[in-house]
Amino acid sequence: MGVYIAKRLAASAVTALLASIVVFLLVRSVPGDVVGQMLGQTSDPVAAKALREFFGLDQPVWRQYASWLGRVLAGDFGTSWTRGQPVMGMVGSALGVTIQLAAATLVLATAIGVPLGILAAIYEGRAPDRIVQAFNLLGLAAPVFWIGLMLLVGMSASFDWSPPLMYVPLHESVSENLSMIALPVLSLALLQAAAYSQFVRQSIVSALGQDYVRTAVAKGLSTRTVFFRHLLRNIGIPLVTFMGLILIQILGGAVIIESLFALPGLGRLLLSSIETRDYPVLQAGLLVVVVIAMLVNLVVDLSYRIIDPRVRLS
Amino acid sequence: MTRFDIPGAVDRRTFLAFGGLAVAAAVIGPAGAAELYGPKPTGAKTGGTLNMGLLVEPPGLDPFHQAADARIRLTVLIYQGLFYESPDGTAMPLLAEGFDLSGDRLIYTVRLRKGVKFHTGQPMTAKDVAYSYNYIRNPKNGSPGAGDFAMITAVEAVDDATVRITISAPNAALPMTLGNKYGGVVPAGYFDDPEAKTKLNQASVGTGPFKLSEFKPNSNATLVRNPDYWEPGVPYLDRINFIFVPNAASLLVGLRNKRIDIATLARPQDVKQVEGVAGLTVERKPSFNQKAIDLGAELKPLDDERVRRAIALAVDKDEIMRASIGGLGNVIGTMVAGMQDSWGAPADKLANQKVDIAAAKKLLAEAGHPDGFDLTLTTIIGYDWMDAAGVILREQLGKIGIRLAIQRVELGVWVKNFQSKQMGFTFNDWATVPDPNLLFYRHFHKAPEGADFRNWKNDAASKLLDEGRVESDPAKRRDIYVRYQQVMAESVPTIMLFSADHVVVRGQKVQNYDQHPTGWYYGLARTWIS
Repeated sequence: MGVYIAKRLAASAVTALLASIVVFLLVRSVPGDVVGQMLGQTSDPVAAKALREFFGLDQPVWRQYASWLGRVLAGDFGTSWTRGQPVMGMVGSALGVTIQLAAATLVLATAIGVPLGILAAIYEGRAPDRIVQAFNLLGLAAPVFWIGLMLLVGMSASFDWSPPLMYVPLHESVSENLSMIALPVLSLALLQAAAYSQFVRQSIVSALGQDYVRTAVAKGLSTRTVFFRHLLRNIGIPLVTFMGLILIQILGGAVIIESLFALPGLGRLLLSSIETRDYPVLQAGLLVVVVIAMLVNLVVDLSYRIIDPRVRLS
Repeated sequence: MTRFDIPGAVDRRTFLAFGGLAVAAAVIGPAGAAELYGPKPTGAKTGGTLNMGLLVEPPGLDPFHQAADARIRLTVLIYQGLFYESPDGTAMPLLAEGFDLSGDRLIYTVRLRKGVKFHTGQPMTAKDVAYSYNYIRNPKNGSPGAGDFAMITAVEAVDDATVRITISAPNAALPMTLGNKYGGVVPAGYFDDPEAKTKLNQASVGTGPFKLSEFKPNSNATLVRNPDYWEPGVPYLDRINFIFVPNAASLLVGLRNKRIDIATLARPQDVKQVEGVAGLTVERKPSFNQKAIDLGAELKPLDDERVRRAIALAVDKDEIMRASIGGLGNVIGTMVAGMQDSWGAPADKLANQKVDIAAAKKLLAEAGHPDGFDLTLTTIIGYDWMDAAGVILREQLGKIGIRLAIQRVELGVWVKNFQSKQMGFTFNDWATVPDPNLLFYRHFHKAPEGADFRNWKNDAASKLLDEGRVESDPAKRRDIYVRYQQVMAESVPTIMLFSADHVVVRGQKVQNYDQHPTGWYYGLARTWIS
């Protein structure tokens, strides 16, 4: 197990290194740079040259990369070119917001989606199934920004209430924080719960027809035991894989909901950094997304072994 | 979206005072109706927090290296220059108290306001003023203001309260240039620290009525009252939270539910949603901005003046304004709406302002395009008005046979094309401070003195711009700029379409906010909460 994890981490490091090169070249392939953005329409060529030298943009790309990588390996992600704050701090606090959003969404989506999926599977073809399926269809078809906007406008129209617009971290004010993230979490969770419940329903329905279920029922086990000991355990692996995918999807795709609800998360940070060509923030932020995606995959793979001891990690 | 503008101007009253004669002691007193930062309130209460919603987040808060208009709007409350850009075109003394001008009009001896302290607590002296302006004008320091300050050859501290500024040629726009757009006065030696540039985003070192408390990207910038501010009794607000709300729907909901006390809106569909809402007041103010069509002569056949005139004759500005901003503005000729009274040429003295399809077709035929031609219009992603305007323009130009394709580009790409003088046929959206020299010179004077972004290369226009810059008699100066505008209207390097109004939406508790025509938030220095 330990060797396996070490191997996986080493492979991840190589992937991250390659990804950092791709990211580095990619952000520089977008036309325009931070100096054009800072100086605007009427910029002075001498001033532009001076600023490009200040940021090291006059250097060949490989040299810029080498010096950036050197500093990153020493633990220094630099300072934002436009915001003037340490990149680590900016990415860290944005990540904190997005992780809170993703974690709360995952919990809520699981809490809604899994029971609904089980319910639908048990009553396959009957009224409860039809209702759940209708919910799933709506949830999967409605774009997340539309759900978010409807919640926002609906709450305002019905209760003259809307979420705060200035973010306060959880440790500073629980009520303020929760009232700000409630609607975005609900918007994301409704969508993910639909996907979840659809997935759980399909898995159970197809498992019900399998030999091991028939055997378990035939040897006289109670429905409860068959369900929880045998069936749920067997759909555990695809379920965890699915959770990992959802988590990565939320982390990478929260930009729309973050913008709608004015949350200072990672997606919005990356978006605004693209607009200002703030390379240090972009590079660090995208690298963090890559690393998180790899870590989530690793955790998912490790959990297979816990769910199903037959799985050999190699 | 970020906007960029050109800076501004000189004091007309001052010119009246010395009339271009020999040595004259010019003190720019309180300029009639105009008051510093807007009208002073009566019965104002001190205290309270104001939440202002911003749809466009400032990319940074460094006034020395960041040109974005979204930055200037905020930092004018934090940093101060020697003069204030009064909406009537006067450069009012701010950190200056007044100045003397030498007989050759090359040396300004500026007397400084007394009792001014920086946010750091240290008193401001002439050394700090000289340091700050010398920093901006040295292009090696990378300030977007360097170009505007190129006329300055020396800034020296004479004594603690006097600064001497020497310029290379008489320039009527000097005091307005020493305004609040770029830079401001900071403690001498501030930039010696290599980290100084970035520190400006965390702690302010200006002299303004508000200090920076925190700047959280994608969330908020918070200013707090400067207790040591030199003007007694102001500002009134304890704290201003500028909250960055990246979409209009949330901002409008926030205004309705009092999460946001005040905001400025640009899109007519947004304004409609708050009109008539109980507890919200909507106010419109004329602006110094312009929405324009630029015609870069590097793109054939726009190098042919007849083609440019034909395009101008086919454009119905009013129709474009109604379609793109729902009429929330003023159609203009060759001057932004907020400066029309002081500097604009009368509409009847300008060529190519009325739609005349027959004349336009005739011009195109003369230029060798009897069947029209294909042309690509560039618009900027995120500038909503351009999308609607583009569609209308395509219809209008279709009437004279020009087949318009529309290409939407990202702002960074657009700025790059603009700077490299490859703008082609494009919409533009920019603003000015109230002086014609600062509005026109850099954009339209031939290179190398001007930037001539549109490759206009017009000798007559350049000559008039030179004359206008030197002339200090206000009546003569105005006459020169009227003639310049006539040349511009005749030759069409640009078609100024309209100035969009500033639309301010505020809750009932917000008192005495006066929107400055630049769009900057000076008025918050006079705002109070009931």
